[in-house]
Amino acid sequence: MTGKGLRAVGGRHPSRWLDPRGRHLGTWAFVLNRLTGLGLVAYLYLHLIVLSTLLRGPEAWDGLVAVFRRPVFLALDVLLVLGLAVHGLNGLRVALVGSGLLVDRHKALLVAAGVLVGLVGLVAAVRTFA
Amino acid sequence: MATRTRPDRTQAASPRRPRPTVAWMAQVVSGVLLLVLMTVHMVAQHFVVEGGLRTYQDVVAWIRNPVVFAVEALLLLTVTWHGIAGVHAVLLDLGLRGRAERIVARSLLGLAVVTVAYGLWLLATIAFRG
Repeated sequence: MTGKGLRAVGGRHPSRWLDPRGRHLGTWAFVLNRLTGLGLVAYLYLHLIVLSTLLRGPEAWDGLVAVFRRPVFLALDVLLVLGLAVHGLNGLRVALVGSGLLVDRHKALLVAAGVLVGLVGLVAAVRTFA
Repeated sequence: MATRTRPDRTQAASPRRPRPTVAWMAQVVSGVLLLVLMTVHMVAQHFVVEGGLRTYQDVVAWIRNPVVFAVEALLLLTVTWHGIAGVHAVLLDLGLRGRAERIVARSLLGLAVVTVAYGLWLLATIAFRG
């Protein structure tokens, strides 16, 4: 989306989080939260489209389930869980720090969120492929 | 739809922090609620299910449970609000202002209403199918 509507007006400049060069780790995490959020919104609509297959009856749905049990789709499932974990846990950190809570611990929170995301990803991968 | 969220304040403590906006608080509350609802959804719908996905008959039987139906409906409502408000916040970050912003905000609100209406209809149709 470009054009007049996206220009800053009223003397307020647009946020520069999309250009995180030379910025701190917290800003990178904020950018990651925005990007995973946009990806998850896109997935929400993809998910609704897939679920609409249920309207076509048992054969259509069960056939789709067989396709989604292929390894490539299972890997995408793990990626989805990772995306949800990154957005959810890092979002919790952004919410805490943005609300003025644990501001001086924001780096420790980021490390904790990273560790938890790793654990969630590991559990998802083991549960999916084991 | 006033979804203006606060800019990145994840770097360090600010001695004069502005008061949180209603939109920011709504995004935080819906985000925390989503952490719970999404965890329930992922575990109950995928992690504990053999093969990760239910067959058609199992999906229908599962959605017919009133508690499951209510949780899924609440998840749909919360995730749609959180996602659409997040997209609006990103567009504001990019500098969307004025008339264009009002048009986009109304369009996003319309999209949210249609998404929830379709999702609820889909849930109900599946649940009440013989």
